[in-house]
Parts: sequence; C-alpha cells; structure tokens
Amino acid sequence: MASRNTARKKLKLAPVLDLNEATALHERLLALKGGAVTIDASAVERVGALCVQVLMAAARSWEEDHLSFTFAEVSDAFIKTTQLIGVDVAPLMAKEI
Amino acid sequence: MDMNEIKEIFFQECEEQLAELESGLLKLNDGDRDPETVNAVFRAVHSIKGGAGAFGLDDLVSFAHVFETTLDCVRSNRLEPNQEVLKVMLRSADVLADLTNAARDGGSVDEARSRQLIKELEALANGEVPQAAAEPAPKAAPPAAAAPVPPVNEEGFQPVAFSFEEFETGEEPAIDLPTYEILFRPKSDLYAKGNDATLLLRDLSRLGEMSIHCDMDGLPALDRMNPEAAYFAWKISLKTDKVEEAIRSVFEFAEWDCELEVMLADDQAQAHEELPMQPVPFDLSMLDEEPRASVEEEDRTVAGERDIRELAGSAAEATSNVVQMTPSAARVPAESGRSAASAAAQSAASQQAASAATPTIRVDLDRVDRLINLVGELVINQAMLSQSVIENDTNGTSSINMGLEELQQLTREIQDSVMAIRAQPVKPVFQRMSRIVREIADMTGKSVRLVTEGENTEVDKTVIDKLAEPLTHMIRNAVDHGLETPEKRIAAGKNPEGTVRLTAKHRSGRIVIELADDGAGINREKVRQKAIDNDLIAADANLSDEEIDNLIFHAGFSTADKISDISGRGVGMDVVKRSIQALGGRINISSKPGQGSVFTMSLPLTLAVLDGMVVTVANQTLVVPLTAIVETLQPEASAIHSFGANQRLISIRNSFCPLVDVGRILNFRATQANPVDGVALLVESEGGGQRALMVDAIQGQRQVVIKSLEANYTHVPGIAAATILGDGRVALILDVDAIVAASRGQALKPEMSLAAAG
Repeated sequence: MASRNTARKKLKLAPVLDLNEATALHERLLALKGGAVTIDASAVERVGALCVQVLMAAARSWEEDHLSFTFAEVSDAFIKTTQLIGVDVAPLMAKEI
Repeated sequence: MDMNEIKEIFFQECEEQLAELESGLLKLNDGDRDPETVNAVFRAVHSIKGGAGAFGLDDLVSFAHVFETTLDCVRSNRLEPNQEVLKVMLRSADVLADLTNAARDGGSVDEARSRQLIKELEALANGEVPQAAAEPAPKAAPPAAAAPVPPVNEEGFQPVAFSFEEFETGEEPAIDLPTYEILFRPKSDLYAKGNDATLLLRDLSRLGEMSIHCDMDGLPALDRMNPEAAYFAWKISLKTDKVEEAIRSVFEFAEWDCELEVMLADDQAQAHEELPMQPVPFDLSMLDEEPRASVEEEDRTVAGERDIRELAGSAAEATSNVVQMTPSAARVPAESGRSAASAAAQSAASQQAASAATPTIRVDLDRVDRLINLVGELVINQAMLSQSVIENDTNGTSSINMGLEELQQLTREIQDSVMAIRAQPVKPVFQRMSRIVREIADMTGKSVRLVTEGENTEVDKTVIDKLAEPLTHMIRNAVDHGLETPEKRIAAGKNPEGTVRLTAKHRSGRIVIELADDGAGINREKVRQKAIDNDLIAADANLSDEEIDNLIFHAGFSTADKISDISGRGVGMDVVKRSIQALGGRINISSKPGQGSVFTMSLPLTLAVLDGMVVTVANQTLVVPLTAIVETLQPEASAIHSFGANQRLISIRNSFCPLVDVGRILNFRATQANPVDGVALLVESEGGGQRALMVDAIQGQRQVVIKSLEANYTHVPGIAAATILGDGRVALILDVDAIVAASRGQALKPEMSLAAAG
C-alpha cells in the first residue's frame, strides 16, 4: 500500500475541458492506468459534459482495478458544473483535504 | 457544411424571427394580450440570442439579452405592455434588426442609439418591478444581490428565484408550481457541433427549481470509450412557472441532436418519491462563458466561497441521495418507456395546437428559377406541338386533339403550381414599411399610424423584392408631404394621429397595392404652377385633375417648400413610377383635397408568364398584355373622326377616344393605316384614360413565356419584352403604357415620339 502511495500520480486538468480536450484527457488517463491517481482540477474554468464522461469512466475503471482515483483540489467552476449536470464527485473527493 | 453556410442559415432564420418579433409587437400594440403572442415575441428574441451566442456575435447577444429580460417581465405580467413600453420595444426590434444586418454584412450600428435603448429597456425591467429581486429570500441569492443590474456585456446574470430553505427543511416542494419531467439524451452529434449538454442544462436551470439525475448506465469502460461520443443522459425534474414551450425552447438549437421528452409530472408526491435527484441549487451565473474583468472575478470568488460552504451541506445530502438513487435508476428505463408513448402523444397534440403551420423546406432560388424556365420551355414546346398538329390535321383526328387539349391543361396547371412556389406573401415588405413609418414620423414630429391589410396576399418573389424600394419612397412621401402636422390636423378637425393605410389584394390576375393617407391631399394649384415654372406644361394648358395629379411623376418635380432629409428633392415619384413600370405595373393617384391621397399600384403576379393577345401589325406579330385590354372592336368608318393634322378619334358609345396607330408609332410603316381595315383594342392607360390601339388583325389569345429583351438584345422603346410563339418565331410584347405615352407625347412634346419611334 505504501509503495502504491509513493507511485501515486497526479494529473492536473487543463483550464478548459471542452470537446477538443476530451480526447487528450482520455489518452492521458489511459496512460496512467494501473496506478493510483489524484486529479487536480483547481485550474478548471470550464468543463463540458464529454470530459466529465471521461473522468467518470476513469473513476469506474479505477474502482474496478481497486485503485484509488481521487480529486484533490477542485475549482469552483468544476464543482458547480458537475453539480449542475447531476454528477456527484463528492465521494471521489480526497478525504484528507 | 462549413461555418459560413451555417451562419447564413442562422441569418435567414434571424430574418424570420425578426419578422415574427415585429408582427408580435405590433399585435401587442393593437391591444392583443394573448400570452401566446407574448411568448412568440419572447421566443423570437431568445432564438436570435441563442444563435448569435453560438457564433460569438457579442453585440447581438448582449442587446438581445437585455431585450429578452425586459420581455420576460412582460411575459410574467410584471410589466404592463402599454403604448410607451411598446414604443421602446419596437425601436429595440429595429436596433436588433440593424445589429443582425451589421453582423451579417459588416458595417456599423448606431452605438449611441442601441446604448440608449439598452438603458430604457433596463429601466423598464427594473423600474416597474421593484419587488422582483426582493421576492426570493434575501440571503438565498447573495451573488444575485451583489451583482448590479446587468451591464451591457454581462451575460445572463439573472437573479434566479430559488430558496435554500426549501430543500433543506422540507421534503415537500411548493405545490403551486407545476413540475416538468424532462428526459434529455444527447447524441454524439450535439457535442460534435460544438454544443454542450452543460450549457443546455445551465439554461434549463434558469427556468426554475431543478433537480437532476445523471444516467451513467451507458458509460463504457475507459479503454473502450470514445471520448467524443455521448454516453450520459439526464432525467430532470423542473419546477417552474414557465410553459412547456419555454422548456423546449432551451433545446431549440439542439433538438435534432438529442432525444428530448418533456412532460408534466401529474402526481407530485409519487414523482418526488421516485426521483431522488440531486438538486441544483446554485446560482450558476459563474459558469457563464468566459470569465470577465478581474473585478468581477473577485466578486464571483467571494460569492463562490460562500457557495462552497453551502455546498458542503448539500453535498452531504446529495451523497445520501446517490445511494438511494442507484436502485431506482434501474427502474427509470422501464418507467420512461411507459411514459414515452403518452409523452409523444402529448407533445404531438401540443405541437398540433401550437401551430397549424405546414412543414416547409428551404430551396435555393436558383433551382426554382431553373424549374420555372424549364416549365416555360415546356409550355412553348406544347404550343408548338399543338400548332403543328393543327396545321397537319386535315381530317380532324379528334383523339389527338383531345389529348393535346389535356396536355395543354396539364402544362398550364404545372405552370401555375411552379409559379406558386415562387409566390410569397407581401408581409415582409409591409413589415419593413412599418419601421420606415416609425422613423419618418419620429423625424418629422408627426404622429402616424400604419394600418396594413392583406399582408398574406401572395405575389412572385421577384416582384416582392423590387417592391420595397418604390414603396419606401411612397411611404416617405405620404408621411412627409401627405400628412399634416398634428397642430394642423387638429385645426382641420381631424384626429391628430395621421393614418397611412397599406393594402394588398388580388384583382383579376394582378396584385393591387394601395397606399392611402388621410392627409391634405395634393395641392393641385401648386402642382400646376410648379409644372409651368419647370416648363413641363404650357402655361395655358388645360389639364384635368387627374392629369395634374400625374404631373408629380415627372422627373425633377417637387412641391415641398423646403427640401428635407426625407424627401423633396424631386427624385422620388418618377423613380417610383419607373420601377413600377419596370415590373409591368401601373400606378394611379386619386386625391381629394383635405381628405388625403390614394396611390394605387397594379402589378403582375409574376414576371415569368403573361396572358396576351396575339395581334398582327404590318405583318409583324405582336403580343398585347391581356390585362391592359378593356375591349376589342371593329371600327366603322362613321365612327372615325379626324382631328388636327394627323390625330384621329374614335367614337365609342357616344364618347371620343384617341386612336393610336401602333404600326406608325413603332415605325413599322411610314403611312397611317386605314382604321376600317383593322381592329381597335381599347386599352386602359396608366393615367386612367382610355386609348384605342389600332392593329391589323387579332390572331388569338395565348399564354406566353416572357423572355427579357434587355438580357438578350437591348431595350427597344415601346416594347416590354419578347416571347417565342408556337411556330418558333419570336414575337414582341407591346409596352402599352409606353405606346400610349408616345402617342400622348406627340401632343405634348413632339420629340418624345421620335425618341420612342427611334
């Protein structure tokens, strides 16, 4: 467990998560598969439904692999958008914050 | 499809929406208080705003937004749409049209004007509704309260009426508002087109209190998913005072790219139980497009921090909701399947009720023109065929003749139907006129009311396009010269508000457009004096009232004492007359001193075909437009009277009518023909007077396809156009008015007949 924690990767999300970003985000997440990930959404200004889909799909995949997938810092815009579209990221929020 | 094409479609739609907007406002102005009218107006502005937003036309969006906000006040009965309010709104509609045009064609807009209107609109939205913002619990919407009235460029910072207490304390929502169940399932296309479900949901959340459930069942594993495909679907329950139409209009630009069901939740309690949704309680304004200036940003962050604290509470609740949500989510598909049928039926019914409008398609005008041209060729070909059959038909094979007759009828019907494709109501032109009246009235300080009738009268698109300019001139004249100032009107015992009446109607295969004002009428004495001063008539010429009235159509004629910006430079009415004539139309004036003037324009319904009488003049085949002919007669020697050197009159039922020798005027022959050998066609000329056109013989009546002479050869005086006859020969179509003018010109101005003949 400890070794995993050290291997924990951090992924900082781009400010604008729109259609163009969805594919890039998908690839970056796929590359991180197999290890615990912390998502840093602090810089996000705008997020579209496509990227939320990718993130949620990732969260499920990680869950199936029994690996940790958490959101560390989230920006206001991010939390509000997910709230708006009925996607609940609260369970994925890093507990230590 | 590239962006420009899409943009072009948007602008076309804008035009329709603007027309809709204006007609709705005018209806309101006439006292119509039907909520559907208000909704239509609101929708028009809303759609323009939506589309403009998609194309990043910021000026348009910001203006439309302010306009929409004010309209929303009207819609929710917070603002009484009285005359003053509507005046501002009509002017705003004009500015909106200007902004749309500027966005399409470039060019600039009167900034000061739009800014002024924005102020007025905001004043209306705020001034009249002091408690609108205070209605929700004051602390419930701190960001809204903190934000000032939306500045020009602020996007949609509308105070949304919601209350935190409501969902924190009571499970039971306020029962008085209807709750809608919305099923929204975007297709991948929606995202591919640059739209985003989040934006639609944001707009939706503004309509009222919204709870949402995101259906993620369709989401595949990360490695198997296409990041640009749509997997999420949403089930939304929205408590709002808006109608279903308003909800659908949120999805207006995405309706083909998503599955959408909107239905009224009839059983509130059950609905609430079955849908443990995540409430959407926040003021979402901060998700609006780009973050703006840093000051605003700070404001938002402060507000945001407050929100975050509140979020903690609601997030906890949401979490518990999510837990119960999972089992019920499984039930959703089954349940939605059941409701789908009823929802579909309901929406079909509502659509039927909402609009009796039949479906339409947009077709490139070129294609229609090509079709019309081809049908024209078909008609000619059919005529040729029947002619050659008649020529070779020695023993009267009736079956062929019958078949040909049927063919003729069919081609005629095809032609009519094709023409009907091009036919458009004159409404858009008339609507443009109301704006011109408003502007001129403002400029001249007169109070004018434009009454339009028969807006749905249909006429060929080319005619409509060319009608706008002469009509504009005439309307300007009517308001500027025709109508008196309010003081003078009161002194004359009239209503201080002048009336200009614009009417369109069909009459015997032509469209008649009438423009009547209730002003002072034409000052004949002044017109006559002016004409003498300008050497248009001899000082001792004895002219009928009608002829004096017609003098105003002469080039360089103006009776206005002073030249104004609007009219009076004397380039008006002759241009009007020429453009009407170019359309194959006629224009008449009738004027009663003190009661006003009536301009009557009679125009052909189409510029492509014409019913004509085929005649022979000096071995040439000519076509006389049937609409010009009143009657035909065989002159008798006793009825012909010589008059002056080379003028002749024909006496018809105890009245004399000038005889016009067509062959002579067109220079087909050098000497005058003997009237007794020919046929006289009594025609109505533009001045209202009758003339007898003398031709050698009548061949028959025929529908001919007009081929432009100007386009293929050059303009010939006295000839309007050409056509191809059944035997393949070219026949010229007579310009009756020009012929009559030439004959009259011989009396008034000899050189004119030379010009016409040459």
